[in-house]
Amino acid sequence: MDHFLLLFWHALLVAVFFAFLWRSDSRGRKALFLKTFLIMFVGAIALGWLMFPFP
Amino acid sequence: MTAEKKTRGRGEGKGGGEDAPQPVSKPLLLVSWLVPGLGHWLLGKRVRAVVFAAVVAASFITGVLLHGEIAVPQQASPLSWFFTVGCIGNGMLYFVRLLWVNGFDGLFSASFPYGLSGGGDPVAAGFFYGKTFLYTAGLMNLLVVLDVHDIARGDKS
Repeated sequence: MDHFLLLFWHALLVAVFFAFLWRSDSRGRKALFLKTFLIMFVGAIALGWLMFPFP
Repeated sequence: MTAEKKTRGRGEGKGGGEDAPQPVSKPLLLVSWLVPGLGHWLLGKRVRAVVFAAVVAASFITGVLLHGEIAVPQQASPLSWFFTVGCIGNGMLYFVRLLWVNGFDGLFSASFPYGLSGGGDPVAAGFFYGKTFLYTAGLMNLLVVLDVHDIARGDKS
């Protein structure tokens, strides 16, 4: 089981969902998708690195 | 603006204008909950319907494949009801999985709604990931139902 792949898959599904839930136009959907996906995907990796020094 | 005015709608107070909120059909909300995406489909929002159905189903199936456990009420843990409500948001998918895991006999045992099994394998590496996917799918479908409500009421296009 690849944790990285699961993180990617979860972020993708949630980002697509909210893009279609909260935006009606194609441009708005793309922007929200990218923002949500990057926050979840890159943010989780960044938080993981930040937590690395802690026991 | 007060909360009462907000819920009463925009048309009231002007002689019942034509932009008053539409009454929302309860069966529409019910089918929207039971079958993810069907509410949007019936409202003519075909693209959104397909996307929501695909996302909720994909999330649910991923959760099951990862050996996640659907939430069931537990007598010793009142908080389990919160998780159960979130997971029941999956609608028909939840009940099919519950039936799959427990069978008819287990489902309608004397201790119902307690004593049910949520399936899954706590030893599996994907157990908690699976639970996350299952709960996420349920909560997303509840948001879909609220969206159907807003569209049917005329508050959203």
